[in-house]
Amino acid sequence: MEPITLHVNGQRLTIDANPDMPLLWVLRDLLGLTGTKYGCGIGQCGACTVHQDGEAIPSCITPVSEIHDHEITTIEGLGGNDPLQRAWIAESVPQCGYCQPGQIMAAAALLIKHPNPDDDAIDEAMADNLCRCGTYQRIRRAIHLVAGQTGGSAT
Amino acid sequence: MSTQLSRRTFIKVSAVGGGLLLGFELPAVPKIGAQTPEATFIPNAYLRITSDDTITIMVHRSEMGQGVQTAIPMILADELEADWTRVHLEQAPADSTYGDQVTGGSVSISSSYGTLRIAGATARTMLIAAAAQIWNVDPAACRAENSRVIHEEKQLSYGELTATAAALPIPRRQELQLKDSSAFRLIGTSIPNVLTPQYVDGTAQYAIDVRLPGMLYAAVARCPVFGGRVESYDDSRTKAFEGVRHIVEIESGVAVVADNSWAALKGRDLLDITWDEGAFVAQNDDTLLQAFAAEIPSAEVAPAIEAIYFTPYLAHATMEPMNCTADVRPDGCDVWAPTQDRQQAKLVAISLTGLNRDVVNIHVPPIGCGLGRRLKVDYVEEAVQISKLVSVPIKLLWSRADDIQNGAYRPATYHVLRATLDEQGRPNHYEHHIVGQPVAAASDLAYGASDHPYDLGDSVVRAHSVMLPIPTAYFRSVSNPTSAFAREAFVDEMAELAGQDPYEYRMALLRNERFKVVLESAARAASWGNPLPEGHAHGIAFHTTWGIPVAQVAEVSISQDKPHIHRIVCAIDCGLVINPDMVVAQMESGIAVGLSSLFNAITFENGRVQEGNFHEYPLLEMKAMPVVEVHIVPSTAMPEGVGEMGIPPVVPAVINALYKLTGKRIRQLPIQGDVF
Repeated sequence: MEPITLHVNGQRLTIDANPDMPLLWVLRDLLGLTGTKYGCGIGQCGACTVHQDGEAIPSCITPVSEIHDHEITTIEGLGGNDPLQRAWIAESVPQCGYCQPGQIMAAAALLIKHPNPDDDAIDEAMADNLCRCGTYQRIRRAIHLVAGQTGGSAT
Repeated sequence: MSTQLSRRTFIKVSAVGGGLLLGFELPAVPKIGAQTPEATFIPNAYLRITSDDTITIMVHRSEMGQGVQTAIPMILADELEADWTRVHLEQAPADSTYGDQVTGGSVSISSSYGTLRIAGATARTMLIAAAAQIWNVDPAACRAENSRVIHEEKQLSYGELTATAAALPIPRRQELQLKDSSAFRLIGTSIPNVLTPQYVDGTAQYAIDVRLPGMLYAAVARCPVFGGRVESYDDSRTKAFEGVRHIVEIESGVAVVADNSWAALKGRDLLDITWDEGAFVAQNDDTLLQAFAAEIPSAEVAPAIEAIYFTPYLAHATMEPMNCTADVRPDGCDVWAPTQDRQQAKLVAISLTGLNRDVVNIHVPPIGCGLGRRLKVDYVEEAVQISKLVSVPIKLLWSRADDIQNGAYRPATYHVLRATLDEQGRPNHYEHHIVGQPVAAASDLAYGASDHPYDLGDSVVRAHSVMLPIPTAYFRSVSNPTSAFAREAFVDEMAELAGQDPYEYRMALLRNERFKVVLESAARAASWGNPLPEGHAHGIAFHTTWGIPVAQVAEVSISQDKPHIHRIVCAIDCGLVINPDMVVAQMESGIAVGLSSLFNAITFENGRVQEGNFHEYPLLEMKAMPVVEVHIVPSTAMPEGVGEMGIPPVVPAVINALYKLTGKRIRQLPIQGDVF
């Protein structure tokens, strides 16, 4: 156990943790940020997706020691009124909702890189985010909705 | 005018239609939460109205993505003439007051519809009577609208009427006037799921997100072979791991309790356990298949056509893995469980703690997918045992591997189908034998097979049980998908032998006009029989799940030796629709679960499950999700369930399309890579 400094959702925090502990468990168990979900523990399902300096990463396989210099954003850091979150509501995307924080974080990272992605770009960027409820077509529509609003022509 | 309060302690409610009288105890004060304010109107166990115009509706079934926490309140609120924007939802406690609370079998709406309407109408009638009493007018001259009672120019809000209404006698069923369906304002509209804002901002609190003061985290090592048990274990490496607090043996294995989830999982993995693996260790997929095949009787009539179909064991693989938080104290017990059966969870907690039922509380937060796995309460048993042993609140987490390897599975099914056809190509003798491991009884292997929708002449459908120690569980729509896969692919085989179009062949065999309307709707919407793009083919399938007809047409092509499913056209007749978009969503998720089953299998070697995580048990991903087009047959009949009905036709529809493309009939799932 050692003190580790983190930058999470714009705040600077110091925690005592085993440096090998995945960021997921630091967020959930130590910081109480439970919007980031556990799904597989091996980076296969995307439920734990957060941003590291604006890039989507699987927090379940990222040791906390590797992220101390980076800016981490979780679903809580998105604020609740992000265009993507509004689009998710407009398209009635969630069913059980469990994977959706990860889906939204993956979509947000995609739009930072590609403000107006086509279906293939969406499929590729979202391939690691599983949804057992099969809300994929609605997710795609919600991403296009935001892309259309923020400029360019949605495909 | 009377302002004196009297608390309702009971109400009798009769279900619509059946004349069944359901008497139920009504808790005067909610069991959880703050003390009830004085001017609260609680006409029945589903409803509470406070003087600030807040309407709280208790949801007695589990929300697991199917939208029940929206649809149940919609029914009650419509009959109550409530202002939907002031409706709040609470999950009801586990209590027989609510009758059966098992969330399964797609019955939450169909079995509650009448009761909820009566609950709403009872309150509306009393609120109108209260206003009429205050104004000294005839109640028949008053009307209710948007949480207000109105008489000519006068109006009072429901909140203003709570004290007066609470003092009135509860009307009998015969005194209630239920709304005409033409007057529904909420029922039949696509009101958004009330939980969506919480789902998208990450504030939804699933059971896995519960945090209690002083809570520790637990993981359990279970025998990798079903039926095995702990012989001995060495926990020295676990004890040395930072953050591990307790190591205790429970019925299912060895539990490690730690300061956080990761330490619990790591500590668990460091245990050195010697297992007594038991007899199942000798079993492999081959030995199971041989055991199944041995059960098939010889043909009663020499068949013109015979085929063997097989579906493997399946894990539910819900996105939220099994978990449970338990706080067992000397004077009480609270359990937060993602359960579809809260009353069973309560019985288990009572039995394990020895506590009185009044101090055992089961909390059911939103569930991250159910699929039937959570009808079992094994994770509740473990959590309660661990918390009791270590005397602190604990959160038990099943890792994904725990979930897939120590789960409870949809049973594998082995099917033999045989038929003889008459001169017109219609079956005059049909046999369908199904062998597998039952969940509760042999009949649960043959749902959707024994109640098939066709006139197949002299039809014999039999289920044959093989008893094995593999834990089995109901899986969304139970054996309907396996029955539908085998039968609907075999119907295409019969149609081919008869030289007929698969759609026309089915239309001629369907017994029921309602079924024909559904099949025709799907075929018409998909332009069945019209040309498709080069390399694309249509496959069709029809099935009734618990009597509810669904037809699907799949448009499929093959690219890079893999099936590519472009579009599923789905038609359903589910009676009166409460929330159309939720019906569409249920078809979409049923189709997604069905399509995953084309590629998923739980397999065994040396008695062990071979698959450990999503890389070995791949769920459908975004690019594989087809466009789903749902057509709901308009109906004013009683509402029926939709949760399970989307799954069964999709696999045979795809398989039948693939046959058109390849000339190869897939009779064994999962689809193997080299099948094309």
